[in-house]
Amino acid sequence: MEVFDHLATGFMAAASLQNLMFCLIGVVLGTLIGVLPGIGPIPALAILLPITFGLDPLSSLIMLAGIYYGAQYGGSTTSILVNMPGEASSVVTCIEGHQMAKKGRAGSALAIAALGSFFAGCVGTIFIAAFGPPLSAIAQQFNSPDYFALMVLGLVMAVVLAHGSVLKAVAMVLIGLLLGLVGTDINTGLTRYTFGISGLWEGIDFLPLVLGLFGIVEVLRNLENPPSERSPISTRMRDLWPTKQEFREAWPAALRGTGLGSILGILPGGGAVLASFASYTLEKKISRNPEKFGKGAVEGVAGPESANNAAAQTSFIPLLTLGIPSNPIMAIMMGAMIIQGIQPGAAVMTARPDLFWGMVASMWIGNLMLVVINLPMLGIWVKLLSVPYRFLYPAILLFCTIGVYSTSTEPFMMVLMIIFTVFGYILLKFGCEPAPLVLGFILGPLMEENLRRSMVISRGDPMIFVDRPISAVLLLATLGMIALIIFPQFRKTREVAFQEE
Amino acid sequence: MLKVKSPQNFGAGVLFLLIGAAGIFFGRELDFGSTRNMGPGYFPTVICGLIILIGAVVAFKALSVEGPEMERIHIRPILMLMLAVAAFGFLISQVGVVISSILLVILAAYARRDVNILETIIFALAVSAFVVVIFVFALGQPMPIWWNN
Repeated sequence: MEVFDHLATGFMAAASLQNLMFCLIGVVLGTLIGVLPGIGPIPALAILLPITFGLDPLSSLIMLAGIYYGAQYGGSTTSILVNMPGEASSVVTCIEGHQMAKKGRAGSALAIAALGSFFAGCVGTIFIAAFGPPLSAIAQQFNSPDYFALMVLGLVMAVVLAHGSVLKAVAMVLIGLLLGLVGTDINTGLTRYTFGISGLWEGIDFLPLVLGLFGIVEVLRNLENPPSERSPISTRMRDLWPTKQEFREAWPAALRGTGLGSILGILPGGGAVLASFASYTLEKKISRNPEKFGKGAVEGVAGPESANNAAAQTSFIPLLTLGIPSNPIMAIMMGAMIIQGIQPGAAVMTARPDLFWGMVASMWIGNLMLVVINLPMLGIWVKLLSVPYRFLYPAILLFCTIGVYSTSTEPFMMVLMIIFTVFGYILLKFGCEPAPLVLGFILGPLMEENLRRSMVISRGDPMIFVDRPISAVLLLATLGMIALIIFPQFRKTREVAFQEE
Repeated sequence: MLKVKSPQNFGAGVLFLLIGAAGIFFGRELDFGSTRNMGPGYFPTVICGLIILIGAVVAFKALSVEGPEMERIHIRPILMLMLAVAAFGFLISQVGVVISSILLVILAAYARRDVNILETIIFALAVSAFVVVIFVFALGQPMPIWWNN
């Protein structure tokens, strides 16, 4: 089997001592930041991004992937023990997990979450290995109009499947696209929106943008609404094992969650958040005693936790094969890859197979490390929750600032970060979620380039998007999605699906 | 007189309108080109047009549909954090990472009320030592430790 050959290559690359170490550091740091209440994967990735820049490309990608899983997993720990979701995909875990914790089953809930995630991680890895090559073969058929159509579909899906106001999310994507265009226009060499500032000639730097919008604004949000002092529920190691009964209830849910998550992760716009909500809804629907839900149902922990991890894995597929990020987290990953000098896409797999397969293999290793490390280290994570915020936030701010400084010593980068902090703060006050903006920011130049090229190919005839079968199908799907938003019945389902609190 | 029923959404709508208008205003000298041969101004103009359109819809809807109130804006936290970042960014090349880190932590601490200054100074010293060990010694990132190098 070719898949196994590839995976073997990957494990060879990923299992070097150096890479194992970076994977471990990534997983631990990610968990460390992710455990902190109110910090989800996006700010965690943003804050830790700079420390990966000095590494070689494979090590840095391995570490970033580790940070991502770690942060997500850390978020679940906080949800279960203190009932404070770090991010949207942990909201669901909060519901059932914390109820279990209250009944004295915190250890069991954590173990189920960890084992479910690990199982999902294994399946997700196989998924990537199996679907990566055929998808990248399809990607070879893609032409500019197809890429453009795919990006339109991705952005529309991301907006529809995100929670919150659709219109505001669309505006965020568009503003992101506009910000992405700042800098030198590659076709004409003219500068756009640079206001004569040389620091903007190569575009707005990615790091000050994400650190301002997510890192520092997160601090501000917590300063204004201090997380209430809630003492975590204590767990002892010997309570960790689930009972036979719990185990019997958990594994089918974990299986379903994994399947659902793997598929939802590949979809443009899909990802961990969508997967965990969908899995929770599914478990509640098919349960023989749905009245258990809300009172600590084991399935409600096992399903969503598996689903979000599976989706976290498979959402790498569109990024690695098509070069198009399907959600804001993948947009940050892509930003990091570009800074490393890698343009994600089908070419990576053929030109740098060690990089692609090494990263895939490291995902599995990272998941294994999470289980092995996290359960025994639970005590430390819980302690971390009791560090007062007045110590945490100056440290977070300092890391953001040093992060920016270490990539560029220009004082202008600080100004840029301050500008984006203020902008992010205004968005917060107006109830706009900035995550879709990053997606637009990353896709802006790509979209413009592909649109221009399409129009040159077709001599200005927009029918080219309909004539090419791939782009026609993608645009049809886009229209379908838009119709769904306008169709009131679906809109209601969407609202209900995201308000499972 | 028109009454704003959803101040938060109204604000967002106006913000979008301003951004779209600014995009068109500052991009007014960029060549639009034609569909067949797009100039550097084509795509930005289309995007700004869409932003303005959405801004108008959001603002208009805010007049008729009830929505959340504006949250209070707290000046102190954002001001102190910005000051802290600016102090670090502009002073590090002159005074080195140790002093600028201490300064950042102390300024940032004043984003809250009731600061225990002694505790903050001790914490700032500890954090700056940590930063030097991790970033300068362990990660080997090039940054001046003190003012003289």
